Amino acid sequence: MSGRRLIDIARVIRSKNAGPLHCTLDILFADDATFREALASPAMTRESMARLYGVSATTVEVIPYAAAHAIKVVLDRPVVAGSPGDSDVYGAQQHAPLLGVVL
Amino acid sequence: MDKGPRPGQALRVLAASGQLGNGIPEAALKAGLAREPHVLGCDMGSIDVGPAYLGGGRLATSPAITKRDLRLVIQGARQAGVPLLIGSAGTAGAAPHVEQTLAMIRAIAQEDGLRLRIAIIGADMDRAWLRAMAEAGRVQPIGAIGALTPATIDGAAHIVGQMGTEAFLRALALEPDIVLAGRACDTAVFAAVPLMLGYAPGPATHMAKIIECTSLCCVPGGRDAMLGTLTGESFELESMNPARAATPVSVAAHSLYEQADPLRVHEPEGMMDTTNAVYEAIDDRRVRVSGATWTPAARHSIKVEGASFVGERAVLLASTTDPRVIEKRDSIAAGVRKIVADILPGAGDYDLRFRAYGAGETNLFPGAREGLPVPAELFFLLECIAADADTAKAIIGVAKQNLLHFGFPGRLSTGGNIAFPFTPPELPAGTAYRYSIYHVAECDDLAGAFPVRMETIG
Repeated sequence: MSGRRLIDIARVIRSKNAGPLHCTLDILFADDATFREALASPAMTRESMARLYGVSATTVEVIPYAAAHAIKVVLDRPVVAGSPGDSDVYGAQQHAPLLGVVL
Repeated sequence: MDKGPRPGQALRVLAASGQLGNGIPEAALKAGLAREPHVLGCDMGSIDVGPAYLGGGRLATSPAITKRDLRLVIQGARQAGVPLLIGSAGTAGAAPHVEQTLAMIRAIAQEDGLRLRIAIIGADMDRAWLRAMAEAGRVQPIGAIGALTPATIDGAAHIVGQMGTEAFLRALALEPDIVLAGRACDTAVFAAVPLMLGYAPGPATHMAKIIECTSLCCVPGGRDAMLGTLTGESFELESMNPARAATPVSVAAHSLYEQADPLRVHEPEGMMDTTNAVYEAIDDRRVRVSGATWTPAARHSIKVEGASFVGERAVLLASTTDPRVIEKRDSIAAGVRKIVADILPGAGDYDLRFRAYGAGETNLFPGAREGLPVPAELFFLLECIAADADTAKAIIGVAKQNLLHFGFPGRLSTGGNIAFPFTPPELPAGTAYRYSIYHVAECDDLAGAFPVRMETIG
């Protein structure tokens, strides 16, 4: 399993606001086994996600959701959605850093 | 609805639209109406579209499509003889949004010769009440936004609260043809009739949470009407477009969408928990769901949203393929900024931003901007927010001309540093707002917060 990239094994990698103060990243896998293996990877911890996005780990949550074979990452938005300086009002284009993550 | 089904019997809730006004697919709506639903529900709004609509009191959707969609669901509900529930009227659900939606409904009733009894639920928060609650320490931010101060409350253009099922139940008790609600929890629109008829709130709320986005929970996802059939402890889901399939995984995955917590949903009246939910395939495009629980809140609470005026916005659209302009873009921007300040010393407070698309501008998070390749082309979006539109236009105009001709060491492109896709490349972009309030307030009197009034048309 190790060495494979998320873009090669995930079925969906997306981002979206959850309210104007949070951005959430969803990584959906095709089956439970892939989900479990990804979840066990050191690349998918809260600290790794914080490093990837260049933010403090205290502003990051990683939530496994087995029913959908999914991992959710919740980030505090650095800018309230739609405020001056925002660059993605819906938060729908913040998933790109995940694509190259190596498990 | 006195003759409606009772728990144990099938209660059919048809979700006609997750964002009314964007064009309801008609075939699926007709197919759903043919299944004899007991209620028709539509969500019309969201906070996700940004603060301009709540702040400016206007709809995000076009008047023509909004009226078309309203006509489809009003005609559908009247022909079926069932109530129509509309939540978050006019995108943001404040008084001007409700009024604009109501005006369209009045026009439809007149044009189509309909007599309609409408229960209208207001969602505008009383500012004195909100101030008192904040002073009493009973209002909390929902995330990284400041504490709610009297200045924030006074400065908001509009402040709404998300109503829950309690408000819809009061409106339904008046036996209207239509419930037109201001800002509302999307679940409340679809859970209200099940609760009125005595169905268990756990499964009713879970079903509502899934169907409020219509067929988005299917593969492939879409905007076609979705039918939820609740029997009591379980419910069945079916898209009214035969090309869309609800599967156990697609339905479970929908709990992730636009939610920070996929397992728990907080409503004014309590909390729905899907930790023990079970998703079973009935066949290849229908799913049965059970197991969600409901815990009534010890104290009722309301999510409160407010938007405040920032300024008037003007923008410049331009691009470059010159490698030296691309390389030196930050120092060029600093130079242009200084010239603007020198030429317009009396412009007051303004916010001038140089956005360079192609170099990571889309990324909100600093880590995502690292290690990107040097682009061959950049798109510049210059944005100015100033106190008034004339000042914003003046600043963006001066910035344009000086960005075009800015001299810098090693410059080759003395004909101009940037290309314009058309003229004028500087454009007014309307009024800028920001969300200033996104808080949760305890509430001792939900009925007082969300008043209902009746109007009969025709």
